[in-house]
Amino acid sequence: MAGDLRSTCGASWRVELAHLRRSWLFLALAFVQGMSFLVLVSLFALTGSRAPTALINSDGSPPSLQFVKDLKAAHGSFSIRPMTAGQARSELDAGRIVAIITIPKGFGASVSRGETALLQVDIDNVDTDMTDDLERAVPSAIVLFGNHYHFAGIRVSSTEHDEIPHDTGYIEYLIVSSLALDVLVVAGVVAGAAVAREWESGTAAVWKTTGSATGFVLGKVAAASAVGAAGAVPPLLLVVLAYRVTPVDWGGAIATLAGCCVLFACTGAALGALIKRVVPTAALLFGLAIPLYMDSGALEPERFDGNKIWSLAHLSPLYSVVGVLEDVFHGLHVTPEPVTADVVMMVAWTLAMFITAGWLAGRRLSA
Amino acid sequence: MTWSAVFRLDIARWRRAHTMLAAALIPPLAMGLFVWVLTLSVGRQPVALVVEDHGPQATIMANILTSDTDAYALKETNLKGAERMLASQQVAAVIVIPPAFDADVAKGRATVDFTLNNVDIDFGDDIRRAVARSVAQFDAPYLGFGGERLQAGLKGVVPNPYRVAIAELTLRKTNVGFLAYELAPVMLLVVLSVGTLGIGWLTAADIGSGALRLLRTTPASGLSVASGRVAAALCVVALIDAPLVGYAAWTEHLDLSRAAAVFGLVVLTAAVGVGLGLVVALIFRRPRLVAMAGTTLCSYLFFLGGGFTTIAFLPSWLQTISGAVPTEYAIDGLRQVMFYAQPEHVALDLTVLVSVAVASVAVAAAGIRRAA
Repeated sequence: MAGDLRSTCGASWRVELAHLRRSWLFLALAFVQGMSFLVLVSLFALTGSRAPTALINSDGSPPSLQFVKDLKAAHGSFSIRPMTAGQARSELDAGRIVAIITIPKGFGASVSRGETALLQVDIDNVDTDMTDDLERAVPSAIVLFGNHYHFAGIRVSSTEHDEIPHDTGYIEYLIVSSLALDVLVVAGVVAGAAVAREWESGTAAVWKTTGSATGFVLGKVAAASAVGAAGAVPPLLLVVLAYRVTPVDWGGAIATLAGCCVLFACTGAALGALIKRVVPTAALLFGLAIPLYMDSGALEPERFDGNKIWSLAHLSPLYSVVGVLEDVFHGLHVTPEPVTADVVMMVAWTLAMFITAGWLAGRRLSA
Repeated sequence: MTWSAVFRLDIARWRRAHTMLAAALIPPLAMGLFVWVLTLSVGRQPVALVVEDHGPQATIMANILTSDTDAYALKETNLKGAERMLASQQVAAVIVIPPAFDADVAKGRATVDFTLNNVDIDFGDDIRRAVARSVAQFDAPYLGFGGERLQAGLKGVVPNPYRVAIAELTLRKTNVGFLAYELAPVMLLVVLSVGTLGIGWLTAADIGSGALRLLRTTPASGLSVASGRVAAALCVVALIDAPLVGYAAWTEHLDLSRAAAVFGLVVLTAAVGVGLGLVVALIFRRPRLVAMAGTTLCSYLFFLGGGFTTIAFLPSWLQTISGAVPTEYAIDGLRQVMFYAQPEHVALDLTVLVSVAVASVAVAAAGIRRAA
């Protein structure tokens, strides 16, 4: 029995590697698909802050210049672009900026006299989310302005205590978890295609004779994990060298990514054995990658979205994976569970997926 | 063989191509699901409020915070409960109105303390902005949009100790919800994905089976084969997207001319997808590779075209790249027609889409003739 397992596993591994050597275009496309997520997640992160805003400063006095500084310092709210009124109007109409802030002539004089100056804000309110952000951001800049000059009559201010001594940028936060997405696509698609192909091409009958579905799956998973590991190197280098995100725990980061390769190869193998067709398996993995990613704590700790969404997140292995990755890269705890529990969950998911893949393959082979 | 025979043949093949349709529809539907999940995480942030002073000033401050339901999903609790909630990530921040708040207000130096779980700057800054506004509203109750002009009449200014007031002028009468705004491009992703993958798949299958070569030996002209195939693809894609267009027209109360413009944009985007699908089929030639390459291509076209991203937020070099992406014109045109009172440069959007669709189909048709 052990001999069957070993020989079947070896044969499955060798067949898969031989096949992959001939399928370089398929591999290249899987790598490109995986890398695409890194790029696309970065694009998405860029829209999270710094709303492109035109500034018309018709005053030029020191208080007006101070107010411009405060707009720029208002918690990453604005990307300020000084321009003329005509340019600003045409940019707003064309949808290239989201607001125009006009500091009126006499702003500095009014403020110096102790009067209240009226700031005009033209806002493209096509999307409520962006409008809400702006409606909080301008008062936030006004508060900075008032506090800078210590104006009389301001009786209340806020004192902030941060749990973590430094802020983590949005791209830096998102890009780490998108590494898991990359591995999911590469290792998952390769393993799914490897298993499904045997039924699609009619060669599954040959594996029936070996008598070990577990060996068959193990060989495929091992090959897909190796490919996934190779596919994870370029995005990891990109994250470290281009995005300048260095793991706080290099050993942990490499071990986690290696664990992801095995976990997602097992997931892909289970799906391949279930669907038995290559293209739907690949499409399903690709299609499910983003929603699973979103519900995994990739944007922010998942529990902030409420207990229902947080509970649902536990149905995806990405939840634990993101918890571990954020810890080893940034030292952040994004799940209420301890990181060791996330690691245990990753191992449990891997075993569950492997057993499912073996069981499904066994049923299919004996059918 | 006329174009209608090719049309009927292709329609029959589309009806049997369940695998291909699944491959084409799963990614855009998943994107739609993603938008829905995203609506749950934008806007309101979970925050615990601890009120340790029960004087009149502290009550005013607490009321300002509790009434801002757009910014906070607030849970009132005591200090211990708040600490527990923060540690277990049930809240992202704890706002405390301290015991001596009223006394400090009288001295002009009161503070509102807040402790922030700043794991990422995106929601962290959202909370910082919201708290700053709430605190400012204690001394300047009408500071912020909407209230200023209402209180002062059209010409006046409500004085406040910060010495700056805001007059908000909105560009449109109504706001569009986040979900509707982001679902509009998903509608285009569906047609793009089905158009690209569908025709790419059929053509790659024809190349592989030699059917394309066989077609060259029939009396059918290249034009009738190409037009029959493209017409069948457009027909299927339009049928798939029709319910989405109908739903959009109903929810956004579009009049007939706008609904027709939306449908036109959708069909033109499908035509772009069909043209690109033919090009992908020519390059990769095998259905499996065409499916993978087509899915990746559609993702790039979608994101670089402004689906889930706002082009204005991107760096200028990316905006330049985006300007060369046909989907940018499709998404912009669709949003203009659906959400803008006076749609702008829709003619340019339509012209670009028509040009790209015609050019890509022409290039692909010429390539396919050579391949056959």
